Amino acid sequence: MEPIIKIRSIKKFFGSTEALRGVSLDVQKGEVIVIIGPSGSGKSTFLRCINRLEEYDEGSIIVDGIPLDSTQHINQVRTEVGMVFQQFNLFPHLTVLQNITLAQKVVRGRDVAESDRVAKELLVKVGIPEKADAYPGQLSGGQQQRVAIARALAMNPKIMLFDEPTSALDPEMIQEVLDVMMTLAKEGMTMVVVSHEMGFARAAANRAILMDNGLIVEEAAPDVLFSNPKEERTKAFLSKVL
Amino acid sequence: MTDENNPHLLPGKAAVTSAQPKRGFDRWWFLVAIVALLIIYLITAKPDPFRRMLVFIADGVRITLLVTVSSFLFVMVLGLIAGLGRLSKNPVISTIASVYVEVVRGIPLLVQIFAWYFAFPSIIQSIGVKFHIPAFENYLANPVGMAILGITFCYGAYMSEIYRAGIQSIARGQMEAARSLGMTHFQAMRYIIIPQAVRVILPPVGNEFVSMLKDSSLVSAVAVADLTRRGREFISQNFIPIEGWTLVALVYLMMTLFASRIVTWVERKTRIVR
Repeated sequence: MEPIIKIRSIKKFFGSTEALRGVSLDVQKGEVIVIIGPSGSGKSTFLRCINRLEEYDEGSIIVDGIPLDSTQHINQVRTEVGMVFQQFNLFPHLTVLQNITLAQKVVRGRDVAESDRVAKELLVKVGIPEKADAYPGQLSGGQQQRVAIARALAMNPKIMLFDEPTSALDPEMIQEVLDVMMTLAKEGMTMVVVSHEMGFARAAANRAILMDNGLIVEEAAPDVLFSNPKEERTKAFLSKVL
Repeated sequence: MTDENNPHLLPGKAAVTSAQPKRGFDRWWFLVAIVALLIIYLITAKPDPFRRMLVFIADGVRITLLVTVSSFLFVMVLGLIAGLGRLSKNPVISTIASVYVEVVRGIPLLVQIFAWYFAFPSIIQSIGVKFHIPAFENYLANPVGMAILGITFCYGAYMSEIYRAGIQSIARGQMEAARSLGMTHFQAMRYIIIPQAVRVILPPVGNEFVSMLKDSSLVSAVAVADLTRRGREFISQNFIPIEGWTLVALVYLMMTLFASRIVTWVERKTRIVR
């Protein structure tokens, strides 16, 4: 089957440092992939290349048959790919409902009734329907991140990217976000997740990937990678994290 | 680390207005009461010259407000365009915007107003003569129009710096979130960045408005019958410099006090909950 994301040896330089040194990856439709690795390993940069928030200098990425080569294609891909950020990045001047409806209206061209309906359904799905009229600043971190997930889902993406979605959260709020992500995974959403939540990885992921120094070091089923890694680098990293 | 919402980092002229919203409330009423009482006292205790003068300068107040408010509206638009221009990735656009800002900020406002009122019409007329365009040959500058143009052109440069700082103060993640939802750069600016930036820049913008209200007195030098000029006319007719300039000063003070109050009120209305 043709992979929904096809990444071929992408390279990325920040000045003279090479952040990505030729990374290739295929993601099948419905797959959940978790990427781990030390900070500075290039995992976030790699993820952000998939919807071209980060430009890459060499290589190619094809998402759902669309190559990331022109502004038009990039915008087209972005409407198919949802993204959730470490810092939530909700729009603080808009209510929760407006956060979720804005892009539906201006990008998807949905009318008010339709976009409100979608937003309210998604708020039920992420478990905070009562917060529709609140402002992001009035929500806890976990609630904000769930709104951010709802905002991305409102565009009916085929793929969801998660960039350390629980790293900025207090420990007691992590689970509520992971629960939402678990539900998505079970529903068959294609997901690429940068996260060190091993529990989530074991339960939801089809593959786990360790990145270091701008390269994929090891790739395996999560249970295998975490319990029985082949590479020394993976063992060294896991011994520090686990 | 969400948005750095710190208006104090913004450039702008020295703060004239703007007490803290809460503490300033009492102080503001106190000041307004004193100024109002003083004016009422002067009018009732000494109707001549004060009441006579107030009636005489009333149309000057209208002109001052007209010049200030209309310049301000134009400045908000010009400042946004120039501010976006300075942030533009296109080198031609950003160079034009930078040159405009640097040149205008380096020339005194009074000189600029003179240039608009005296030099600009001459240029138009010479062009008219050279190319035989009758409308240009007979061009006469409208004093109020030129005053508004001069202030707009000058303050637009200052305002562009405020806009630029305001836009830059919005965290990068906001743009990224908007773009990741498929919005174009323009849509992200329009719906996400600028609405937040405008709230951030309200305090310095308020200062600019109050500065403009005061600097509008410079247009009295080019035959605009504003508050200052009407005051001067009355004073020289009646030989009352002390009383006359006192009243003019009090009327300006009253207007700036109300202006800064409106700014504080708008600021409170549009504050983002965090």
